[in-house]
Amino acid sequence: MKAETEFVKGNEALALGALKAGMNAYFAYPITPSSEIPETLAKEFKSPEYPEFKIFLQAMNELEAINMVIGAASTGAKAMTATSGPGFSLKQEGISYAAAMEVPFLVVDVNRAGPGLGNLGPEQSDYNQATKGGGHGGYKTIVLAPNSVQEMAAFPALGFSLAFKHRTPVLMLVDAFLGQVKEDIVFPKIAQEKFETPWATTGARGAERHLLLSLHLDFEDQRKHAEHLKSKYEEIDMMEQRSEEYLTSDAEVVLVAFGVVSRLCRRAVNELRAKGIRAGLFRPVTLSPFPDKGLKSLADRGIKKFVVVELNVGQMVYDVKLAVEGKGSVDFIYKLGGFLPTTAEIVHRVEMVSR
Amino acid sequence: MQDKATGEYEVKLGRLPTLTGKPTHYCAGCEHGVLTRLIANAIEELGAREKTVMIDSVGCSVLAHEYINVDAVQSPHGRAPAMMTGIKKVRPDLLVFAVQGDGDAVAIGLLELIYAASRGAPITVFLVNNAIYGMTGGQMAPTTPAGMVTTTTPRGRDLKDTGPVMDASKLLAGLEGPSYVKRVFLPVTPMGSTDLYSARGSLEGAKSVLNAFKVQLMGGFSFVEFVSTCSVNWKMSVLESKRYSFEVLAKLFPPGLYVDKMGVEKK
Amino acid sequence: MGQASGLVQKSMVIVDSEVCKGCSLCVVSCPQKNLKLSESLNRIGYHPVEFHYHGEKGDCTACGLCYWVCPDFAIAEVRRLKQ
Repeated sequence: MKAETEFVKGNEALALGALKAGMNAYFAYPITPSSEIPETLAKEFKSPEYPEFKIFLQAMNELEAINMVIGAASTGAKAMTATSGPGFSLKQEGISYAAAMEVPFLVVDVNRAGPGLGNLGPEQSDYNQATKGGGHGGYKTIVLAPNSVQEMAAFPALGFSLAFKHRTPVLMLVDAFLGQVKEDIVFPKIAQEKFETPWATTGARGAERHLLLSLHLDFEDQRKHAEHLKSKYEEIDMMEQRSEEYLTSDAEVVLVAFGVVSRLCRRAVNELRAKGIRAGLFRPVTLSPFPDKGLKSLADRGIKKFVVVELNVGQMVYDVKLAVEGKGSVDFIYKLGGFLPTTAEIVHRVEMVSR
Repeated sequence: MQDKATGEYEVKLGRLPTLTGKPTHYCAGCEHGVLTRLIANAIEELGAREKTVMIDSVGCSVLAHEYINVDAVQSPHGRAPAMMTGIKKVRPDLLVFAVQGDGDAVAIGLLELIYAASRGAPITVFLVNNAIYGMTGGQMAPTTPAGMVTTTTPRGRDLKDTGPVMDASKLLAGLEGPSYVKRVFLPVTPMGSTDLYSARGSLEGAKSVLNAFKVQLMGGFSFVEFVSTCSVNWKMSVLESKRYSFEVLAKLFPPGLYVDKMGVEKK
Repeated sequence: MGQASGLVQKSMVIVDSEVCKGCSLCVVSCPQKNLKLSESLNRIGYHPVEFHYHGEKGDCTACGLCYWVCPDFAIAEVRRLKQ
């Protein structure tokens, strides 16, 4: 018997996925092309179907929103907000503070063309900002990159799980296309996880009290704290790299792409195979920690040609080069302005590289 | 040398468990220290220590958690009202407050303050207004009076260029949301030509802090602005700074009860 | 300074001299002038305040004003005789 599918827009699926994961609080600020997320949540607020969804509040700017998220999350609640480029920049201050204080929550960036106001088309130009810590100071977050509306529905639960497991903000980097496209999906049946939050600031208990701080004026205190964060990021790097591979086991040339571009690359791989070129696809699912282990093993296995396809002037390509460690060539296809490459363009380029 | 004492004594005013007892980093004579005592006292009176969460703002109050013995979260500069709103939404049973300086609340955080107040969020903001940026070394604040010399207005503040002096209490009193807006002159007040200073600021301040918390517990937004001093950055002695504050700031920022929707001062 | 005469002090102020910053707010707030800065220095380099039950203008009444104006918790306790 076929499971019941629903024809849902990416942003809506993400919103509903967060509700099914048991999100408690959403602090909103609209910005195209992410606004369907708070709009869906506003509609569902007070629905008996989501008793955990207790708070929906529209803030007056993205600074208010992220700080409300941090406040709610500091009590141990599951909190989230979503935005796009210009708003994402505003949130970096809060994310830096929260990373230092180790407060877990979800921030969604629906990546539109930039820099500045750009336009409303999809880009992947916030990759560096998201993965290299867009705020000040040395911190990292976990960054998830869905590539289908199905994943948009499933990733909020994964995001909260990782956030609370590692006490870190988790970002979802979504391209504008994925936010807007509609696909048939089956909402995953997610058991709502209850997270232990012994660190939460909800009032002292006798002599014991909790502090969530990022200021350590004493140099040794700050050093110890930074080392602690470093070990945490190393642990995350060891445990949480996620990627998906398609036809890489006998590949001669491997495409590397995330988000909607990976779907185009998959089609390109099929067309290339039909033409007798042994192409494969490596799709990072976590952009941070970057799945360098997977890429490295492909390079170690003898794959000599990699082609990175991104909607920016070259950001993930450098992480791929590092992962490959010079064992193979890393070529690069890019598209700007909100355009997507056609499969034909990708196929043509790979053909050239393969000769 | 203490006079010798005999007999049975009781402690009329004593050490507070809500204070950590750590010596403060505040400059000698600073109202931040006085306010710390008033806040700890109010929390004790309400028996609220175990359900209080304090926000450390950015400015001289950034180390408040070192002195007040309650759970605390650090906020980015100016964002405390937004953070408190988030906390109270999830945990309306908690008592939350922040001590903010005039830079934190009236410059970088003005939007967050105005909207939290407008929404009538059940939180409490204490503004320590000393008309200058203290922690960063004495730059101009939105509350700096015309003509005052600061490190960024070395020839005296020119209102034509830099805009008018911001009156936070009047600004908030003009909004529908707040339930309690009070301005207190906190420093010891010179009394004419005598060498005796009045401590009425502290006493009024103590009542106001308690009232502000009561208003929050009744579901309203409360705000108390404490006209204060900054002797180090004003380049005055402690007592000179009290006199300056009384003669200039108390006129620029008149103390008074601006909003009391719940009639808490009448009770 | 008064003389010790067998009369019991009705009150006393306990000063934590090591945290006092000599700001003298308590000195100027005391109506009886029971508080004066000491000649000596404390560990943090200030002249801490000292309590004198018999002040220039009278004996301490445990009014507590010093406690309420002190920014540093140096006025640690105000005690009075039990009734």
